[in-house]
Amino acid sequence: MRPWWRTPTARRYVFGYTLLAPAILYVGLLVGIPFLFSLYLSMSDASVGDPVASFVGLQNFEAALENQAFYGALRNTLVFTIGAGILKGLLGTTLAFLLVQSFRGRRLVRALVVIPFTLPIAVSVLGWKWMFDSQFSVVNWALSRLGLIGAYGSADWPVWLGQPHLALFSVMFVNVWRGFPFSAIVLLAGMTSVAPEIIEAAKVDGANFLQRFQRIIVPMIAPILFIGTAFDTVFTLSDLSIVYLLTNGGPDGATEILPTLAYNTGIRAGALGRGAAISLFLFPLLLPAMIILLRTLRRRQY
Amino acid sequence: MPASVGSGNPRSRRTREVRRHLLVYSGLIPFLVIAVFPIFWMAITALKQEPDLYRMDVVPFWFHLPPTWKNFDFLFHRTFYVDWIVNTMSISFWVSAITLLTAVPAGYALARLRLPFAENLGIGIFMTYLVPAIILFIPLARVVSTLGLQDMWWALVAVYPTFTIPFCTWLLMGFFKTVPFEIEEAAMIDGCGQLGALLRVVLPVSWPGLITSVIFSFTLSMQDFLYSLAFVSISEQKPVPLGVATELIRGDVYFWGSLMAGALLVGVPVAIVYNLFLDKFISGITGAAVK
Repeated sequence: MRPWWRTPTARRYVFGYTLLAPAILYVGLLVGIPFLFSLYLSMSDASVGDPVASFVGLQNFEAALENQAFYGALRNTLVFTIGAGILKGLLGTTLAFLLVQSFRGRRLVRALVVIPFTLPIAVSVLGWKWMFDSQFSVVNWALSRLGLIGAYGSADWPVWLGQPHLALFSVMFVNVWRGFPFSAIVLLAGMTSVAPEIIEAAKVDGANFLQRFQRIIVPMIAPILFIGTAFDTVFTLSDLSIVYLLTNGGPDGATEILPTLAYNTGIRAGALGRGAAISLFLFPLLLPAMIILLRTLRRRQY
Repeated sequence: MPASVGSGNPRSRRTREVRRHLLVYSGLIPFLVIAVFPIFWMAITALKQEPDLYRMDVVPFWFHLPPTWKNFDFLFHRTFYVDWIVNTMSISFWVSAITLLTAVPAGYALARLRLPFAENLGIGIFMTYLVPAIILFIPLARVVSTLGLQDMWWALVAVYPTFTIPFCTWLLMGFFKTVPFEIEEAAMIDGCGQLGALLRVVLPVSWPGLITSVIFSFTLSMQDFLYSLAFVSISEQKPVPLGVATELIRGDVYFWGSLMAGALLVGVPVAIVYNLFLDKFISGITGAAVK
């Protein structure tokens, strides 16, 4: 009788976990431990210049909750995420219904229309910063030629990144611009995964378009729409680059969101503990999206 | 599209097809314009002379002074652009290498070796992809400085695998599940060990998966902005996106021509490569195949 550790099963397990070890170690050391470390930092007075940190309990969280700027950032984060999410859903659905048709040049159209999503984010945000220039904005040029706005310097010349409401609109616009192709392609994947035979069968059984849409297409694409939205929410909530590069939270906090507030507090001002506490406020917002993804992934069959 | 009853007349069917095409195209045009115009605008800005950028009295969509390479010239000779490109290439190389060396064995083990908890471990690794940089960058700043890597592009080599490993492990796990078990069994009957079967039989037929992983290590790294902003502040050490976004601005003065030139020169190739592999990205995260 062989000892248990020499059996083929045991050897397969040893081999398997050895292969897994590097990935698990890397992710554990650089995601798992830092995550726990951020919990610790958020309860300390750690700063960039001072390597010795002492435990301060929940002071950083209390300080955040007493800060007016924090509430502004929280509100903007919610408005930004929800507003942009709805717009992306609407535009993405419209585009998906167009792209699911068969027409000449479909592949080319698809390749062009996903450009906003595939371009590195910092690159496209710089392009938009130029298009939203306070004086030489091409958007304003077009609007003023169409007679929709006045001349430069007049009261109805929009300064996209300089006026509070317009600035929030602009950063949301760029997020929507970047995200709608993603929603569309995810939905398209869902639609094309509905086997045409099922739809044909329903047609033969006498179901009209509305019934087919309600009973077959919606239930089948809903899970995928869910996953797409959850991913997009995670990306949107945690993205700093659009706001950082376009307005850096300005004018006067009008576009400040939790990521920029965390960055400016933690890195710029060097208050690591305060910054960590602010970024952890994002976690409860991320959690619903992550739970949805976790549940869908577990149910997923290959 | 199946021909329904009563559309026997080829001419009327054709008119209907034409009308349907027109309808679809007119719906698509606004999307196309909004998606592509920024690229066009960035490209023409990159090729315009400075005074041509600041005229509001003429139609700005074309040149009013001869096009120029001056902005590119400035980029290559008066900035660290070449260093940024070299940094970006080096980062991508090392991140891809680290990702392949860790994600390939992990994906294989999770997909093929019938380990206990394999499914949950796989999901667990993938979930770390969703822990966003904005929560990790402050503690990672400490890790980076402990490793002595602050202000070097090597810092990014250390942190980018935190998202490329989870993503590629997940992707490869799905991929390895599609490789037939028989070829491995045949190799083992022929005297290969488990490792030999992986190296000699499974990997050679898995090269599309490996290439896809390399591509994603590259494109996902190019999407980062926060880590590079937080960890690298020396001009020569920056990757391209950060360098272009931070070094071509002096106080209030934006060098728009060079900014757009530098952004597009790297952005367009990345977008093209990503475009070709986008369906794999989507099916990787949603489990649905795009057709």
